[in-house]
Amino acid sequence: MLSTIALLASEEGAHHPNGYWLPGDLKEVLWGTLAFVIVFGLLWWKAGPALKKAMAGRTERIGDHMSAAATQRTEAEAERDRIKAALADSDTEAARIVEDARQTADALHTELEARAEADAVALRERGVADIEAAQRQALANLTAEVSRLALGAAERVVHHNLDDASQQALIEQYISQVGAAN
Amino acid sequence: MSETRSSVYAEAVLAIARAEDALGAVPDELFRFAGALEGHDELREKLGDPHIPAALRQQIVQDLMGDRATKASVAVITMLVGAGRVGDIAKIAHEVAAAAASSRGEQIAEVRSAVALTDDQQARLAAALTARTQRPVTVRNIVDPAVLGGVVTTIGDAVLDGSVRTRLTQLRDAF
Repeated sequence: MLSTIALLASEEGAHHPNGYWLPGDLKEVLWGTLAFVIVFGLLWWKAGPALKKAMAGRTERIGDHMSAAATQRTEAEAERDRIKAALADSDTEAARIVEDARQTADALHTELEARAEADAVALRERGVADIEAAQRQALANLTAEVSRLALGAAERVVHHNLDDASQQALIEQYISQVGAAN
Repeated sequence: MSETRSSVYAEAVLAIARAEDALGAVPDELFRFAGALEGHDELREKLGDPHIPAALRQQIVQDLMGDRATKASVAVITMLVGAGRVGDIAKIAHEVAAAAASSRGEQIAEVRSAVALTDDQQARLAAALTARTQRPVTVRNIVDPAVLGGVVTTIGDAVLDGSVRTRLTQLRDAF
């Protein structure tokens, strides 16, 4: 405050009528100073705590903001590190994926080959079985047809050769067999 | 024809035979007529044709049988033909013959052969079958060309098959 007064005095210059660099009436200076001190003291007494409290709150908020910023920075740095690490691992991961894909493709290829081979074997066996069955069926049909033809031929031969004497001989043979069975 | 209906007709035939005192002739003549009918497809079709008037079909029967059968047998067969039971005459004849034989304590042997058995052969076969079954047997011979040769005898549920037809069939099955 004294520096302020001195400054005012310097602005006014040392050209006051009393020849001092202070105003001419020292009492006015003293009372003014006193009033200023009183007003300042009242302000300090009444408004000081609120002002201090506001300043403390502001300081605390600023501190909180700084802490939050520090936390965010830490998190951002951690995220950055993680991303860096992930980026660093991406090549390895890509290589692993490619290797997995290659192994899967190889396994699939092997499996398909094995399945195709098994299918081919089964198809071949089924074909052989079908051919054998067809052969057996054809042979059976042929046998049945031959037997049918043979039976027809035999019937005709028998029918033409069964004269009355043969019929009587068959009947006598039958009667003898029935009698002999007793 | 159901079993019951053929049995009813058989009982009716037996009743007529008893009433006419022809219980000995009717079963035999009916059986022979059935055998003859079985061997003549055309006759069987004519007598069983519903488009031919019954009176005409009955007249055919009377003309065929004439004096070769008793009046009772002709009457019975004419009745069956008129009733449209031509297809069942064989079954009825068999039941009549079996019932008549049973009433005499005998059983009927249906003997199928390609040619007719002589009386002597029938007697010897009846004797052989009687000895075999321990019951008197009456032989009813049916000429059946399908037998080809030999004899097939059906007596009760038993079949004594000595036919050439069966031997040929067995030969075919052996292939």
